[in-house]
Amino acid sequence: MTAETIITARGVTRRFGGLVALDGIDLDVPKGVVQAIIGPNGSGKTTLLNALSGASHADAGSIRIGGREIFRLKPHRIARLGLARTFQNIRIFDNLSVLENVKVAAACNRPTPFLDILTSNARQKQSEADIDRGAREALETIGLAQRADDRATQLPYAQRRLLEIARALASKPNVLLLDEPAAGMNMTESMTLLDTIAKLKSRGITVLLVEHNVRLVMGISDRVTVLDFGKKIAEGTPSDIQRNPLVIEAYLGRRHRHA
Amino acid sequence: MRLELTSWPVLVASLAAVLAIPLITQDGYVIQLLNIAILNAIVVLGLNFVTGWAGQINFGQAAFYGLGAYTTAIASKAGLPWITTPFLSIIVVIAASLMLGLPTMRLRTYYLAMTTIGFGEIIRLIIVHWEPVTGGTSGLRAIPGINVFGIGPQGQAQHYYLLVAALAIAVTVAMRVRHSALGRAMIATRDSEIAAEQSGVDTTRTKLLAFMIGAVYAGLAGCLYASSIRFISPDSFSGTQAILLMTMLIVGGMGSVAGSISGAVALTILPEALRFLGQWYLVLYGLGVIAVIVLAPGGLASVASQVQWRRAGAR
Repeated sequence: MTAETIITARGVTRRFGGLVALDGIDLDVPKGVVQAIIGPNGSGKTTLLNALSGASHADAGSIRIGGREIFRLKPHRIARLGLARTFQNIRIFDNLSVLENVKVAAACNRPTPFLDILTSNARQKQSEADIDRGAREALETIGLAQRADDRATQLPYAQRRLLEIARALASKPNVLLLDEPAAGMNMTESMTLLDTIAKLKSRGITVLLVEHNVRLVMGISDRVTVLDFGKKIAEGTPSDIQRNPLVIEAYLGRRHRHA
Repeated sequence: MRLELTSWPVLVASLAAVLAIPLITQDGYVIQLLNIAILNAIVVLGLNFVTGWAGQINFGQAAFYGLGAYTTAIASKAGLPWITTPFLSIIVVIAASLMLGLPTMRLRTYYLAMTTIGFGEIIRLIIVHWEPVTGGTSGLRAIPGINVFGIGPQGQAQHYYLLVAALAIAVTVAMRVRHSALGRAMIATRDSEIAAEQSGVDTTRTKLLAFMIGAVYAGLAGCLYASSIRFISPDSFSGTQAILLMTMLIVGGMGSVAGSISGAVALTILPEALRFLGQWYLVLYGLGVIAVIVLAPGGLASVASQVQWRRAGAR
């Protein structure tokens, strides 16, 4: 690769008992691209995302984000280093408003000394104002600004997915991991989502996208990585991938191979 | 426009009503009961940080209450000036909450509940068996009253005003935390620990802080309990009391400041108000608690919120 890589993973392995969910995955993601990770059900896509974000650590391997080793770092440390993510099964904060959901992440790299909270001093007020502004900007980008004061649980399904993206965005990440962001969305909503991803890319954010709907990702992705049974079986541009016999076999012919 | 619970006319009216009570009733028994209700409200507000916001089950809150009360009683009976006792109480409960919290904040749900029950029982046993210092099961009497450089409240009405002021401070701090990054981090931790972590929240630290703040609330309420009621015994800080405090929070409304207070006040006063029923009072009391939980799972606060209140703002 000529471009600078922002994620460099080597030999990432994750076992669940006897099952090898990730089998020595190497992954290079160039800075500023949209890269998709696709693969059949159970191929290890989400496990890889969890290993990268620290949600569920890998057993072995090395993961570098912007040159920094993050293997086995706690998730909040990884988040503070500039990696944000969304979840396949939505995890918003039900007891907070839409704006407050995003504010949680907007406070990401902003320590709040308890004494400042107690005295509610000028520094604390300034900090809260900055958090508020950051959170509202993120909602604006995603198009949820008009729902800011609603309870998060009042949002319809597709908007909850957008809220997760807004929350991830508010921590001002360099890398954004999206885990099946279009799941459960209709065609119009998916199209809006693609526009949003393009907008994030234009802001210099590297997007790593796990998606089940292959057709959806082909248009937006610069690079595609294909996993099957915990192994990387192909990587390249969308058109390369579409012609790759291994990929076609993984998607269409796996019953023959592994029955 | 709907009238909000936190709007000025409502606040002023309820404050006036609260302040007028000792003028209306001269009955020392009633005011004493209210004093205990206010102290319980402070303890439940503390529990609300841990359980209501951070989502950690804690049956150790009564023990922290007791630690504050016994620290204050022992210190002031030993002749230390009263003004030192709140600080001593804070030091003792912070030390105890770190001892309990550091190893247990990784535990969840039942396991954490069991550990905190065990902690409460250990504290109770120490109080019961360390007789020369704690007075054992008969407790400690004639505890010196509140006295700051010769000035202190006289009579129950003055104590009442002092405790109302203490509650007001407790509420102010709770609201400030709620509307800070820390308060949002607590609720985020309760709603989804992993999503909170991935948003940059150190959930272990957040839970521990909630736990410590809750313990300090209980410790300071214990300090005020010992020096305003002037008599303490292990019964007031037992496991039964811990369950009662949790019930107050649930009946009032988890995660709600107004709910914590109304739950504590209602469940402190109700047993006394139902005393005329004799042994049947527990039946009615139990039914009442069940009715609130079944009919309004969000507690008394959620009943109020159906009338008014933007939930996100006032929680």
